[in-house]
Amino acid sequence: MKKPSYIVFALLLASLGARAGTIEMKVYGLVCGFCAQGIEKTLRKNPATQDVVVSLEHKLVAIATREGTDIADDVLTKALADAGYDVKGITRTERSIADIRRSLKPQ
Amino acid sequence: MNLNRYFFAGTCLLAIASAASAKPIAFANGTTAMAEYGAGTMKEAQVFHAPRYFWSLGLGHTELDSALTDERREITYARANYLVKRWNLESAQANVFTWGGVGNSYVSEKNAHEFTWNAGAQIDYETRRVYSSLKTDLFRASGFAHRIDTLQLGVAPYEHDIDTVATWFVLQARRYTHDIDDGTEWALLLRLFKKGAWIEAGATTDGGLQAMAMVNF
Repeated sequence: MKKPSYIVFALLLASLGARAGTIEMKVYGLVCGFCAQGIEKTLRKNPATQDVVVSLEHKLVAIATREGTDIADDVLTKALADAGYDVKGITRTERSIADIRRSLKPQ
Repeated sequence: MNLNRYFFAGTCLLAIASAASAKPIAFANGTTAMAEYGAGTMKEAQVFHAPRYFWSLGLGHTELDSALTDERREITYARANYLVKRWNLESAQANVFTWGGVGNSYVSEKNAHEFTWNAGAQIDYETRRVYSSLKTDLFRASGFAHRIDTLQLGVAPYEHDIDTVATWFVLQARRYTHDIDDGTEWALLLRLFKKGAWIEAGATTDGGLQAMAMVNF
């Protein structure tokens, strides 16, 4: 009798795991396009990275991860430190990278 | 002599107080290539590769044509650059760089080549609206020692972002030591950059062309 609930639970876990995630980071020291170039280059080396968006205005670095993957906070912090920048906060959000791009466009 | 001292002290204070500039290290695993034409007195080309964000190695070639005599230097060198300190502030960044190198120079009045060493430092501070940098670069050989001090103060009419072109109006003051030029050379420059490409051009107060181009990749 309990079998169906196990199956539902397993399917739920699988669907959660399969979702692509978005990670938003608050980064200090972002003042020019060169900064963004170095950060993008570093983050795109991570196999979990699908896309990267950088906004100088919002001091934001956002990463879309590939389905079923995540990047640990300490890995992100180290990647940004290795690029020469300081991470001040990391959040995982429901916003897609496309939503973030749209929100950054001047109205 | 006193004027030199006042100029150097003044430029140090200005650079510390305010600051955007070309940096000898762009980003980790990045390569920077730059070329500068300094109003007929200086020509320079440099290529640096940075394995990490805080150091880079590369080659440079600097030519100095004295505005006062017939003396001419053609200096080719290998150079290492080091980021001594970076401050990442919420909406600003400040850096202290230093560098050193060795090479060879052609000395026109001797018609000979001499071992030459190079040392320098740069301090800069920038936001998306203001920029300042102070750079000092010394070339020394048995037959000469020339220091080039450059102060740049810039303002941007708008705050650029990743997908927009950055526009800067930059005031540059430069001094050369030991018979390359006398007095302070002032120049007004327009600087444009987007992503990895940078170009700036303008004129000195006596009509000389001052220009620089840089790419980071």
